[in-house]
Amino acid sequence: MRWKQFFSRVKSLDAPAARSFMETLAADQYNLIDVRQPGEYAAKHIPGAKLIPLGDLSDCAGDIDPTKPTVVY
Amino acid sequence: MAAQLLNGMGFKEVINMTGGIKAWDSNTAIGPEDLGLTLFTGKESPEETLIVAYSMEKGLMEFYLSMVPKVTNDDTRKVFEKLATIEVKHQERLLAEYHRISGSAESRDDFEERLVAPAMEGGLTTEEYIDRYRPDLNVVVEVVSLAMAIEAQALDLYQRAADRSDTEASQSVLIDIANEERAHLKQLAALLDA
Repeated sequence: MRWKQFFSRVKSLDAPAARSFMETLAADQYNLIDVRQPGEYAAKHIPGAKLIPLGDLSDCAGDIDPTKPTVVY
Repeated sequence: MAAQLLNGMGFKEVINMTGGIKAWDSNTAIGPEDLGLTLFTGKESPEETLIVAYSMEKGLMEFYLSMVPKVTNDDTRKVFEKLATIEVKHQERLLAEYHRISGSAESRDDFEERLVAPAMEGGLTTEEYIDRYRPDLNVVVEVVSLAMAIEAQALDLYQRAADRSDTEASQSVLIDIANEERAHLKQLAALLDA
């Protein structure tokens, strides 16, 4: 049993820190995922964010490169 | 939550941004995922991609120039002129990239014959931007903020287009342009600080 999988290795950053983090990288060196619904995304989203609603995340995670840092909101 | 899910799926480095979109302290973009993508269907060659991008920059430049005679305030008039000059520089970069990729040495005039007439940069029209942001065109901060909103929207479009691109070479062009747009945004933010 790999207990490690149950412990959070996920980092949390506030928005300004997340923005700084992404600004240090070129546009294709990270993933930015918006996990809200299409209507929310259309109303307002962070430039460059990819929409993958939470319910679709398991199915669509294959579309994202897992070796790059991934910011989620 | 989403970040945990991705982490569990073996994603190397997952970062949860706290506070959501409300906490985002910079420019945002609007529209569904396919906004503006009739311009970038994903099937464009690198040269075609540059032609579309150039068309959009030119449209934006013309918008800024059209504002010059409309504003009564000297300071904002100068800002619009400066914004137009910045757009010309962006166009020059795109033309240079076009020359590099195509191996041609086409003059600007000949190149401009190929341009399409799309919506202004970012996939929205002038009217749509003005309606949405309702800037006071005689207040410098509001004019620069409008320009930043347009650039953020354009950045969003280029990144979404890159995601959909069929060819690696075109995707690479779009990523380069997206990176430049990020620099443009910084340039505009600096105008606000000045």
